[in-house]
Amino acid sequence: MADSDKVRLRLPSTIKAGDVVQVRALVLHPMERVERDAQGRIIQKNYNYVNMVIVTYLGKTILSFDTSQGVAENPFFSFTFRATAPGPLKVEFLDTTGGRFERTVDIKFS
Amino acid sequence: MSGMTDESQMTRRAALGALGALGVAAAGGFVMGAPATARAQVLGLNESVQETMKRLFGDRPIKDGEALVKVDFPPIAENGSVVPISVTVDSPMTPASYVKNIYIVADKNRIPFVTRVTLAPEAGRAFMGANIRLGETGDLRAIAEQSDGTLLMVKREVKVTVGGCGG
Amino acid sequence: MRWAGLVALCAACAGPAGNAPDTASVPPWTSRAIPEARGEFQVMPDGKRQAVRYRGWTTRDFNFRTYAYDDKRPEPAVQTVTIPAGLTGNPRLGFALFLSRAKGPCTGCHLIPGDDVWPAGNVGPDQSTIGDRNVTDQYLYQVIWDPRVFFPNTSMPPWGTVGVLSPEEVMHLVAYLQTLKSPVPPEKDPDRNPFTRRKPMGFGDNLDPTNNPAVLLADGAEAVWAAKGPAGKACADCHEGGTAKAMKGVGTRYPKFVKAYRRVMSIEDFLTVHGPETTGRPLLAESTDNINLSMLIRRASNGMPVNVDTESPEARAAIARGKATFDRRVGERNHACADCHTVERGANKFLGGRLLADVTSGLTRHFPLWRTDRSEVWDMRKRLQWCMTPLGMNMLAADSIEYAELELYLTTFDNGKPLSVPGIRH
Repeated sequence: MADSDKVRLRLPSTIKAGDVVQVRALVLHPMERVERDAQGRIIQKNYNYVNMVIVTYLGKTILSFDTSQGVAENPFFSFTFRATAPGPLKVEFLDTTGGRFERTVDIKFS
Repeated sequence: MSGMTDESQMTRRAALGALGALGVAAAGGFVMGAPATARAQVLGLNESVQETMKRLFGDRPIKDGEALVKVDFPPIAENGSVVPISVTVDSPMTPASYVKNIYIVADKNRIPFVTRVTLAPEAGRAFMGANIRLGETGDLRAIAEQSDGTLLMVKREVKVTVGGCGG
Repeated sequence: MRWAGLVALCAACAGPAGNAPDTASVPPWTSRAIPEARGEFQVMPDGKRQAVRYRGWTTRDFNFRTYAYDDKRPEPAVQTVTIPAGLTGNPRLGFALFLSRAKGPCTGCHLIPGDDVWPAGNVGPDQSTIGDRNVTDQYLYQVIWDPRVFFPNTSMPPWGTVGVLSPEEVMHLVAYLQTLKSPVPPEKDPDRNPFTRRKPMGFGDNLDPTNNPAVLLADGAEAVWAAKGPAGKACADCHEGGTAKAMKGVGTRYPKFVKAYRRVMSIEDFLTVHGPETTGRPLLAESTDNINLSMLIRRASNGMPVNVDTESPEARAAIARGKATFDRRVGERNHACADCHTVERGANKFLGGRLLADVTSGLTRHFPLWRTDRSEVWDMRKRLQWCMTPLGMNMLAADSIEYAELELYLTTFDNGKPLSVPGIRH
């Protein structure tokens, strides 16, 4: 699966200028949990999990999530933005191993 | 992986620049070029919720947010590994007055800090939703930080079910 | 011996017992499943037999009867027992045993007082005041050891007979139960009590890709559908027009009796033979490609009513065997599907914190589905393998005829109800 195939965004089917629009976003990601050794000690390593989600609208960051391993596997987030003008809305997921997953939707008014 | 544009690099730096106050080492190692292990050691620690709250907010006063912070936390989580939550803060979202952060803290998690949402007025509404993990039954907190620095907190107990035969 | 030629013969004779369906006519089947899903065993260097199962599943070899049609073992014989002379119980240890997940737990089915008792179920009677009933220790001892002496059709396992609880442990439980007298402390939390607990919420729109990761995995299977296999052909070469059009309605008709293989098959079963014959892909049962393709094929019928054959002689015979499996007591716990999933017994009640489903509501039309607690897609077979394995029955191969016919029986209750694949469940 290509990286963009791991991301899905959901928006209302019709958006009018000025609407506050709710967006649902999901990325397929393992969000590794800590592992412990036989003595129960946490194994020190660079666990692979999404630690940043960045939402950009019309080229400006309007919202971000800093995240820990307390976020579920295959992270799901929802948020809103005020649709002021047509243009791109991008959601990027960054993980602790340099992985980057993103999807962009073109906001159009009806 | 798709190529990074100059614009997205700037965007990310701008976003990460806002992270200073967040003591948890969430600023990704790969962006900063920091060795990954340094961060893993920080994350490997257990932390009490008191320590987390202290680290995030210092000694700043935190007010009761019941009047303004509306949380949708399930009273019973059938499955602690995927708990859907959402938070809405009754607040204007104008440059003069808005909610700039919403924190989610799970008291009984090994690392109680779950997420910090940073909002700009363009978000239009002080809202966040996410699926989170809860290790066991305990309080879940939402803390809203208004643009004037006021902190408002609401907490609710979420019971985590242990399945019968694992269903 | 299993001869297909006997089908007609035995359909006419209907069997001497009247309620034991014919299984002699069921042909043998060699599993085409991934190694973890075949129900096989390996002998370890120390000589012990260990089950080969999915990662994280128990590897214990349970020596109790299973759903296999050729497993002729009876259920464990009823044991009538008396308390061994001088044996006394400790209520404190009994309380701990009552909550012990390794030994049941009793709380999975029975409510007792205590703010820390969470989550109790209500499949069995509330025991909060059983100490008021003035029953003898001997009676309680027998009921826990083997309740079938008094209640031949009980859903409760014969804990002593099958060796889960020792005489000492049963006596600790007896001592604890005798301490449970009225008045019951006032309930601080209605959710603690399974009789007043709120029913769990669903998990939202299962077809929303931002809600159900399985939708993305089904989307991803389009690439498998379109890719040429070792034989030089792709699914798409013969089934033209895209999956949504080419496979429309197919999911409503399976499981069904497939003449060429003389057995009932689900789509997952059929792919294990059809894949190798056409594209040259193995598409083993429980493989990622098999499950994701099955989702892709089944969802092409979303919204259409399930319409499996229940009328042909082959279907009727298979459904009769499937029902017998549903009612058959198996495994260490000596449970049947019917114990948990019929309204006369456990259905719509809580087993621990989980609400048990009613078989008549139809349990198959959203499979394969996303398991939120496993972060995996499970088809119906993995669900069936999971159901009894922790309760002490060695699982059968995912593509076994026994499971196929059980699945067909379960699917008869989905008939007329719309498919909605992939589902999402905890």
